[in-house]
Amino acid sequence: MALQPTFAETRTSSGIERALIGEHPAIVKLRALIERVAPTEVTVLITGESGTGKEVVAQAIHTLSPRRLQQFVPVNCAAIPHDLLESEMFGHERGAFTGAAGSRHGLLTTADRGTIFLDEIGEMPIALQAKLLRVLEDGVVRPVGADKGSKVNVRVIAASNVDLAAAVRKGTFREDLFYRLQVVPIRIPPLRERRSDIPLLTEHFLQRVRERTPGREIEVSREAMVALWSYDWPGNVRELENMMERLAILCEGSIIDTTILPENLVASAHPASAAANVSLSGHGVNLNDLVRELEGRLINDALKQSGGNKQAAARLLGLKRTTFSAKLRRCGVIAPSSLDQLEED
Amino acid sequence: MDDEIKAPQIMVVDDDQDTVAILAHHLEREGFVPIVATSGAQCLKLVLENEVDVILLDLMMPDMDGFQVVKALRDNPETAEIPIIMITARDDLDARAEGMRLGVSDFLAKPVFRRQLASRVRAQLEVVETARDASAAMDRLEAVKTRP
Repeated sequence: MALQPTFAETRTSSGIERALIGEHPAIVKLRALIERVAPTEVTVLITGESGTGKEVVAQAIHTLSPRRLQQFVPVNCAAIPHDLLESEMFGHERGAFTGAAGSRHGLLTTADRGTIFLDEIGEMPIALQAKLLRVLEDGVVRPVGADKGSKVNVRVIAASNVDLAAAVRKGTFREDLFYRLQVVPIRIPPLRERRSDIPLLTEHFLQRVRERTPGREIEVSREAMVALWSYDWPGNVRELENMMERLAILCEGSIIDTTILPENLVASAHPASAAANVSLSGHGVNLNDLVRELEGRLINDALKQSGGNKQAAARLLGLKRTTFSAKLRRCGVIAPSSLDQLEED
Repeated sequence: MDDEIKAPQIMVVDDDQDTVAILAHHLEREGFVPIVATSGAQCLKLVLENEVDVILLDLMMPDMDGFQVVKALRDNPETAEIPIIMITARDDLDARAEGMRLGVSDFLAKPVFRRQLASRVRAQLEVVETARDASAAMDRLEAVKTRP
């Protein structure tokens, strides 16, 4: 565990421990795979939801490769307008299009002998995908408006947060390019699939706060940690990182407690309170989910009180037995002693 | 992948026969194969005899509580990496904190809703698949290297 590396370790560590922090079995295996694939010339496709750290992993692969002293060139295919992407990547000759006053190298040429990182490759126009495939096959880059191309020696790492296999089925992504890219697929799991790493990651981000402000003591209370653990983190590690930075600022003492956690985060640890004390916040609420939640809880309580007798439970809720049974089935409530005579319904 | 697609096998551990039956029923409707255990001891026995993908474990059981089962599963290298989803009472902070410490993968609060059950189980299946794919890619790379 490389939470507090010594100076010597920092200098010698490969960087992958920092790029992909965690002890979840899947993360341990991914780190091993990354260390194994990095020194090769193999094309790598990194997939993962936004905020999982795809670029950091790509950078670690470059740093662990014999190309480490050459350039690492990141290109966000979604951030560059489609009609500019080709000349950005491949360069252009003078007069190749209106406004092309001089000739210019493309990013593939900049990355010669180094690594190009094509983020959000699913956004690349299909015509350009064909051109990229040719680069992968024979290493020839032909600038826009040029008669012939020149050879480059570039390693390609691609990343996507959309399902490229689905894009292939839809016809928006070339199948041949997909297979060429995914020689070694690396899927970085979202945080909600590896919650056991949340305490470790939290500690890592707090350690950064402590290092930045010497003498600062800061910790997370047990209740707050349970809440952090239970939250789904749609923005993944990046969201957790931002959250810890924010909490460190909000926290006046040395303990981050549930009182300073955002409401939705605390609610995830105490789902019952979500339905009980709900108010219409700026984000709105999902009424159906809340109603189902409340129904389920009361049905469950009624069954408990009646010792599993559905007739009595229905009476406690002021419902007819048939209505009660229908609700029970619809909610799919499972709780001890809730099955009383369910099969006969 | 050349191995045939098998429905994931999900073990349900709870001493309450009715709860087990309902959980198993819901799992089946979601396309999973339930394997039922009604005690901690039976869970530890069956998990070695079957290919279990995810374990749904109730905290409160008379012979061996859920924590003891988690500990036994985590201590055995053969079962150490099987995801465990622990079913606890709502608001049971102590149980969650202890489960986190022992290496539980996720929690479900009672009453368990089918949709929530399915999505939590699927998340664990996904991450198991990720680990498997990483190992498979590693093997392919070794093969490339050792080719004469």
